Amino acid sequence: MRRWIFIWFAVVLAGCSEPQEESGFAGLAGIADNESGVPFLQPGPGERLSFPEDYGPHPQHRIEWWYLTANLKTEDGEPLGLQWTQFRQAIEPRPADAEPPDANNWPLEAAWMAHAAVSFDTRHYFAEKLARGDVGHAGARAEPIAVWLDDWQLEAEPGQSSWRLQVAADNWSYDLTLSITGKPVAHGDQGFSAKSADGEGSMYFSLVDLQIDGRVTLGDQTLDVSGKGWFDREWSSQFLKSGQQGWDWFALHLDSGDKLMAFQLREEDGGFRAGTWIPADGEPIALGADQLNLTSLTQGDGYPRAWRLEVPDFGLNLEVAAPAGDYRNTGLYPYWESPVSVSGSHDGVGYMELTGYGE
Amino acid sequence: MVDSLLSARGLNKQFRSGDEPVPVLTDFSLQLGAGESLALTGRSGSGKSTLLNILCGLEKPDSGTVQVLGETFDARSTEAASKADARWGGLRRQQIGVVFQEANLMPALSLLDNVRFRARLAGQSEDDCRDWLERLGIGELADRFPDQVSGGQRQRASLAMVFAMKPALILADEPTGSLDRHTAEAVIGQLFELQARHDCGLILATHDPELATRCSQHLDLGHLPQT
Amino acid sequence: MTLPAALFSHYRRHPLQLLALAAMIVLATMLWTGVHHLTSQARASLDQSESAVAERQQVARTDGSPVTVDDFVELRRAGLCVMPWLEVSEPEGGRVVGVDPLAAGCFQTPGGQESPWGGELNGRPFVDISEAAELAREQGSELSLLVSDDHSKGDLPPGYQLVPFSVGPATGELGDSFLLNLDALGILVLLITALLVRSVYLLGLAQRRDSFALLHRFGVPHGRVNRLLVVEILLLAAVCVLPGIWLGRWLAAGLGSGFGQALEGLFDQPLYAGQGGSWLVPLVTMMAVILVACLADFLRPIFRGLMGGNRRYGCLVLLVLIAGLALTVWVTDLLWLFIAVAMVFVAAGILAPRLIASLADWRSGHDRDLQARWRHRELAVLARRLALPLVALQFAMAMVLAVQALVTTFESTFDRWLAQRLEADYYVEVPESADAALALDWLAEQPGLSASGLWHRVIRGRATLPGGEDEEETRVDVFAIGPVGPLVTGWELFESAPQPWQRLQQGQGVMVNEQLARRQDIAVGQTVTVLFGSQSFELPVLAIYPDYGRPAGEILIHPSVLPAEFETGFQSLSVSPGNLSIEAVTDGLKGVWQVEALTVRDNRAIEELASAIFDQTFLLTRAMTTLTLILAAIALLMMGWVFFSTRAWYFRLLVVWGLSRRQATAQLVRLSVSLSGAIALLALPLGVWLTWVLVHRINPIAFGWSLPMAVYPRFWLELGVLSMLIGLSIAFLMSRQLKSPTVAPVNANALAGGER
Repeated sequence: MRRWIFIWFAVVLAGCSEPQEESGFAGLAGIADNESGVPFLQPGPGERLSFPEDYGPHPQHRIEWWYLTANLKTEDGEPLGLQWTQFRQAIEPRPADAEPPDANNWPLEAAWMAHAAVSFDTRHYFAEKLARGDVGHAGARAEPIAVWLDDWQLEAEPGQSSWRLQVAADNWSYDLTLSITGKPVAHGDQGFSAKSADGEGSMYFSLVDLQIDGRVTLGDQTLDVSGKGWFDREWSSQFLKSGQQGWDWFALHLDSGDKLMAFQLREEDGGFRAGTWIPADGEPIALGADQLNLTSLTQGDGYPRAWRLEVPDFGLNLEVAAPAGDYRNTGLYPYWESPVSVSGSHDGVGYMELTGYGE
Repeated sequence: MVDSLLSARGLNKQFRSGDEPVPVLTDFSLQLGAGESLALTGRSGSGKSTLLNILCGLEKPDSGTVQVLGETFDARSTEAASKADARWGGLRRQQIGVVFQEANLMPALSLLDNVRFRARLAGQSEDDCRDWLERLGIGELADRFPDQVSGGQRQRASLAMVFAMKPALILADEPTGSLDRHTAEAVIGQLFELQARHDCGLILATHDPELATRCSQHLDLGHLPQT
Repeated sequence: MTLPAALFSHYRRHPLQLLALAAMIVLATMLWTGVHHLTSQARASLDQSESAVAERQQVARTDGSPVTVDDFVELRRAGLCVMPWLEVSEPEGGRVVGVDPLAAGCFQTPGGQESPWGGELNGRPFVDISEAAELAREQGSELSLLVSDDHSKGDLPPGYQLVPFSVGPATGELGDSFLLNLDALGILVLLITALLVRSVYLLGLAQRRDSFALLHRFGVPHGRVNRLLVVEILLLAAVCVLPGIWLGRWLAAGLGSGFGQALEGLFDQPLYAGQGGSWLVPLVTMMAVILVACLADFLRPIFRGLMGGNRRYGCLVLLVLIAGLALTVWVTDLLWLFIAVAMVFVAAGILAPRLIASLADWRSGHDRDLQARWRHRELAVLARRLALPLVALQFAMAMVLAVQALVTTFESTFDRWLAQRLEADYYVEVPESADAALALDWLAEQPGLSASGLWHRVIRGRATLPGGEDEEETRVDVFAIGPVGPLVTGWELFESAPQPWQRLQQGQGVMVNEQLARRQDIAVGQTVTVLFGSQSFELPVLAIYPDYGRPAGEILIHPSVLPAEFETGFQSLSVSPGNLSIEAVTDGLKGVWQVEALTVRDNRAIEELASAIFDQTFLLTRAMTTLTLILAAIALLMMGWVFFSTRAWYFRLLVVWGLSRRQATAQLVRLSVSLSGAIALLALPLGVWLTWVLVHRINPIAFGWSLPMAVYPRFWLELGVLSMLIGLSIAFLMSRQLKSPTVAPVNANALAGGER
């Protein structure tokens, strides 16, 4: 779902002529709005996921991302949160089977942005990278999976069912192995995740049961880490509907082995809520707006760092709270991305993302 | 009545106040001979100043004819405005002297220079300009500037200026309106004396009924015109 | 009715006066904000330009083949901060540089300052690399890969090496000097703004003199009225300053778009003034200026008391002027110099209107023609009454003159300075292993080159000038060239002995750069001792050459003078191939030296690019002064019109006395044109003097070198025409008032119009 912010990125793409009015409102799905006459495709109800292709890029969609969050522990048992995201923003749509443009012309049909963050011991490390697409130093591939921008990369390990993720920022880095267990979880209507009552939405699936092992280096401190990860794939051609101010997104691993994804898109009078209940045994269940209650427990302005999350149908009454510290990702488009701890009817850990709180 | 110096016939003039036309002069006529004096009385706004302006060409009537010093001006004539202006200009320059209530002098010139300026414009010699000031009793102030002398002295200088041009007709619009009674008497006395001695016509707009009796003719423009 | 209400009721009866007052405050604020904005932009533009031409490093392939997109991808994937730089010649001349702002992100300096190619690319020569690549299909292009200075040789994957990269020589102190001058001009604009505000304030006072007199007669003390007036003007300012700031920013920003298109024709180039800049600085500055401009009234009686009578005051101001002028010649300290300049300006500002008035009064005393006498007396009155806006215009004109001269000087200096450093079309580096002598023989043998081309050899190294008894020795750069030919003989020399270039060619002497000559007090004809290693030479000084903005001492000699033991730091050939192609020359040299690849620098391309990069800065500076002039002219126009209308009765008297309207208008035209012409005439010496101070005093004191000063009489003429236009506009506005028969004499006294 999230990262609708990404549109703003297009505006900044220096000198490029992306018209500004496309930002911040529902995309005109399927309408050819470029010179070549190729339209952006807009996901709709009934559209299905297809594997392994959907691990790769969707050049005829405006935006998409590969998104990993992880709740890890060091050898000493201290919690460490970790994020890696790579975004693709199309400026010109291109059919999936079309030839990519010649790299020698330095094309500007798509731009890539990568974010990496580590949250440890109340500190938050964040780095951002940018690149133009189709030149070669940034891109993605479905099979075997590879997503890269400069020397940051996620790649399938040859001959194994695991992936390797390497990130090196100025004074910190990580190198992780992701063991893939479980099937992809399709959110919403078999992968079509509605984002407003009017039917706008995106294609969205997750790998919710990643076992992660590896090493995180912070300055001269090297930490061996292991724990659970959550991997999201999402693509669409629409941005925030006008009137939608931002969103709050949660992905939780409960100690019971159950998992929960929930989000809300905030509007003046309420907004749009949805989620997915992923029981330890059995098939995922899509949650509608009337099945979810999401209330901020924080007073005042700024990012609400504590929430109450209720799903009465499944006996969930959770308090979700970020640890002490400032977990803003202060890149081109600031937002909040923090590990959270879960208490109440269930205990657990997870990740929380908050955007649109006036920065 | 010998030698008509000035005659006006059928003058009409109206102003507009908002959308309402306000008639100021309606079918107005007058005649003045050389050496004659005419007093115009009437309340403020009754049209005295407008009439004087029309009689010296500074304003144009809506209709009617003015004959002055041998020149004829018809409001309805097809003559180009600039030509009529030029004829009027010539008359004012050499033959029609105008005296206002105040501010008749260029502030940047001395009294004497003002008189000389005016005489020169009228094509008269500058030589007797100082005499004129002396005759009006302000000879010793000749080199002072207008703001350095009293209001009465300024008006005397204005008279000196008008007489130095040797006018055939003098139009005076409340020339003593801003002076105290005593000074006003003295200045008006000089005006009448000089007018008589030089045999020129005088039209005097005034509030003062007593003054009006000293003129050979008297026209009352009456009250504020009704709308 | 309360006292404030009574005071303000004046404006209820005369809303136009209030409007004029408000408009002037808005205008003055707009001026300062606009100029402030443009100055910041010019500063940022200079910073960016300097950063863009700063020397950097690039990655080259060790096999000598040109770098490609694939190399870029490989280096980025290896984690290096590399940025593509695609230089393309444009069909109609000039060049553009394609950069990738996304890749430039990692070039951001630690201070958070964006690299010159990051963020928004706002125009040529830098464009998005896809745009440049488009052009490159038709035109010749060259790709370079710039690499962040944080990387060292060890970071590179095998097959690559680091080589220096520069777009142009570093501007050094030339840029600093430009900024200092810009600051000085900014202060001047503030002064002009203050004058405009003060003239508004005085206008307001004069218009209401009668009301004040009345209030005083009713028993209201003067102090109370004055205090209320200050409150009133502050309130008015508070209301007008914000829209003024908004307008100023709009105007400055507009230079980048709509209004800029109009100016584009004027300057032949688009202007780019970005957004940004704070509201606070103009707001606080303007409120302070307004306060000072108003409070000056309370200080004046104190000054008057100190200075005694009018005549003594005039003498004192004259003394200040003379002292200021003398100080600017003698002081050696920048602060004192600025104080001296301020003294001269203040004195000139006080004296100029008095001078016009006195001259006009004096002339009127000698006029036999009474109309001329009247005109001159009126002129004297106008000069006194309009003193402040007149002085504002005088300062604005003086500033425009100075800036025009300065910017043109900077531009031509910059061009010459570039040309001097890049004299030949190409530099060919002599590889370390190669023998330059072989190449010289080969070059001398090329008939095509000797017919139309030019070349010389350049050797660079170090030498020492031994000091005297108590002086330390001086290390200097050695710049040896030979054969001495037209590539250098066109240099402008500050001072020279007869036939300097011939004698240099024959090894009979040395030339020294300006910096060294100043520091060591070296004059032409003198003999200097130069130590090359241990060997000492006595060489006569043949000439002193300008070397702008270069702090190092340098000597220019013929290579034949250099002893065998001289340690060559760097050797190159400067070649203008004429009819020959540079490829033919480099191929020949590769053959002579038996090498695969040569480092060749295309100097014309470097020159073009460096000029293009700095153009924007000069353009913004010109725009700033144009703006000042336009607004100062409008201010005078408004004030002139308001004041003239208070004297309309007297101009109408001329008509009453028989002058035709055309004749009366002619008098008006002569009057107002004399006034604006006189102020332009008085602005001229002030402007030339200001140019001289900027070029010959501020610069040497701040930086130890001076620019050549040039004057531009054609521009004087343009200013003259402008002042005529201002005069004619005032007359035109006035002549419209002559038409109305309803002008009443009573109005005349309301604004001290009765003054002589």
